[in-house]
Amino acid sequence: MPGVAFVAHCLLNQNSKTSGGARCPGVYSPLVATLRERGWRIQQMPCPELAFTGLNRFWAVREQLDTAAYRRHCRRLAKGVAGAIEVHVRAGDDVILVGLEGSPSMGVHVTSSDPERGGRPEWPEGTDELSPGSGIFIEELAAELAERGVPMPRATGITHQLPDHDEAREQAGIVSLTGA
Amino acid sequence: MDAGDERSYRVALIAEELVNPDGRGIDGLAALESAGWGVIQLPSRDYPDGVAAPLLELVAEQTEEFTRHGYTVAVIGRRAGLDEALAAYGVSGLPSIEPRSTAALARFLAAQSGRGDCPR
Repeated sequence: MPGVAFVAHCLLNQNSKTSGGARCPGVYSPLVATLRERGWRIQQMPCPELAFTGLNRFWAVREQLDTAAYRRHCRRLAKGVAGAIEVHVRAGDDVILVGLEGSPSMGVHVTSSDPERGGRPEWPEGTDELSPGSGIFIEELAAELAERGVPMPRATGITHQLPDHDEAREQAGIVSLTGA
Repeated sequence: MDAGDERSYRVALIAEELVNPDGRGIDGLAALESAGWGVIQLPSRDYPDGVAAPLLELVAEQTEEFTRHGYTVAVIGRRAGLDEALAAYGVSGLPSIEPRSTAALARFLAAQSGRGDCPR
């Protein structure tokens, strides 16, 4: 039965992306279309990086953002999101989460990592910083939900910023997540 | 801004029931998607105050960043507590509409001007 999909902020608002990262003017239509066709309600999560490092932020990897202060910021956001997820879970709604693969904050299965990255923001083109794992916000959300005794929703991530992005595979992942 | 960046510089704070109209009323999300606006979804009116208040604060915090950078920001629909949350972050006087029709919403969106009108 369709339920509630908690989606990464940028998937409804590409204006929140770091410079060069906006793939469309505002709403990432393929996700919205798929969720709506299948009867899922949409709830948007906040963008962890937007309020912390701002609209003029550089692209960053996990190691650059993984500070105690950023963790506290993400936990504050996660408390808000977890409260909303908890409302739906307690009401018996099916809840899923759609993050953004490759993101240092919102990656679900793929984040970005490079321990050497830092200082002056120049690095060789083609450097591959993608690595398995979750982003910092996703980790903090899982921890917050665990503390509340609320299960982590089934989750996937949109892949449109990965070099091997395949829209059909992305859609199949969403369809699989939505359970029919 | 990077030449390949497709952002619209337009962001709407929109009531939850206009994002999830469930086949009733105005589909605000579709209107914003069609007009190329980004969305900041307001917390559901069904959430208890203790759940909604922190979410409204996060909305206000993010809105402040967009207004600081000259993005066009508007409010679509109504959410109790939003004005107070925005005021706490120094944001007030945003253009707003409680749309009575999809056409009225489309006209409102088209009438908003700002940074998104400038060549990038």
